[in-house]
Amino acid sequence: MTVDYKIDAMFELRKFLWTQLKLTGLFDQDDYYSDNLGSEIIPIIPVQQLPEMDQFLNGKKHIVYDKIGLSYEENWLICCEKVLFTIYSTDITEIYEIRNLMTDLFRRMDESAKDVNSLKTTNKLIFHNVMIVETTPIEPSLELQGFLSTDVILEVKYSRVTDRLGRFA
Amino acid sequence: MDSSVALIQASSGLERLMAGSVPGVIKDSTVAQISAFLYYEASVLSKLTSNAEFKNLFKTTIFNQIEKDFGQYVDAQARTKPRSLHHVYEWNKTGNPTARLFDLYLIDTGGLSFRIGRDFKLSKSAVPSKNKKQKRRYVFANKASVMEEGMPLVIRPKSAERLVFELDGATVFMPKGTSVTVKRPGGRAATNQFALTYGRFFGGQLVNSSIKSSGFQRLFNAKIAKALDVPINIKKVQYSFSAGKIRMQADAALSSSFGGSL
Repeated sequence: MTVDYKIDAMFELRKFLWTQLKLTGLFDQDDYYSDNLGSEIIPIIPVQQLPEMDQFLNGKKHIVYDKIGLSYEENWLICCEKVLFTIYSTDITEIYEIRNLMTDLFRRMDESAKDVNSLKTTNKLIFHNVMIVETTPIEPSLELQGFLSTDVILEVKYSRVTDRLGRFA
Repeated sequence: MDSSVALIQASSGLERLMAGSVPGVIKDSTVAQISAFLYYEASVLSKLTSNAEFKNLFKTTIFNQIEKDFGQYVDAQARTKPRSLHHVYEWNKTGNPTARLFDLYLIDTGGLSFRIGRDFKLSKSAVPSKNKKQKRRYVFANKASVMEEGMPLVIRPKSAERLVFELDGATVFMPKGTSVTVKRPGGRAATNQFALTYGRFFGGQLVNSSIKSSGFQRLFNAKIAKALDVPINIKKVQYSFSAGKIRMQADAALSSSFGGSL
């Protein structure tokens, strides 16, 4: 059986966060409908795609993410990743709301991981721990003029289902 | 009083009990052996914080992890905020770990404590230019430190008689011998941003997370357990033990446990 190497913990985390942002009404998916693509664009984008999305996201609140690091310790079954989320909005209240939601979602470690597990779209990943490591003060963005921004850093520990040899199943 | 000194003082009372029974009294190895056991364990623990190998291992293990995590943190910040942190990388390589122009170094402050300093490396790549006619390439060696400080930069003709450069698509010819002042090289957004990023890493939870993930605790537990394993001669039934020999064995056990590379 072929192994699906497209599976990535970050994507699952992103989907989970987007679902929660929609459920809580902090984001309206209709605001992110692209006529060109004929579908909504999830405004949680990897930093590498930011230049392409720059025009589409002009003036709209959005989140940019990047992996800080990924490491396996001696226990190679469990992966530890740190992910940097930068929240951009022109309205300080919106940033507070998003940051508070993220704090509410991701401060409970094992319990937060259980929530992510309950909504994940693949059974190949098992989240063990999700926690907030750092948040920064909200300040005018030096990158995107007119926007305010803040950083939220999460630490995620997860494992992937393996075969008898320990390779990804 | 330092706890290791207190431990040495307390355990010195055991030396008398290890020396063996007084002639004429029924010989019993139990007291001497238990005393030797305790004396050995106390010697290992009391020598731990002054052991050079242990101190070195402690510092380098934690520092190496902090250095790695800090580098990755700045890389991610630079990819997300290139205008703020482009200056601490070689030209057009913002966020690339191999193009970093910053460094951390360890400052030994004695004992088990240490401080961490930061430094900028010299840039080695040529300043990029869109002008294909330009033959001379200039390396702005102090790029990182100058842009971080937001120091104004004066550019003067060195070998040519005047400065010629492109601005918004037009070629500008400066009058003979005149200079150009760049008020904020690297842009206003870059000034003091590395210091801010450094402060956030070391002032918040990230450095603590780094220390935890260094695995030092796990490593320490395994190594100290090995060092505390009582040598075979103390385990053997004897009526007298040499305090000096036990102290040497404690030293050797610590060096053997903590002296190896990670």
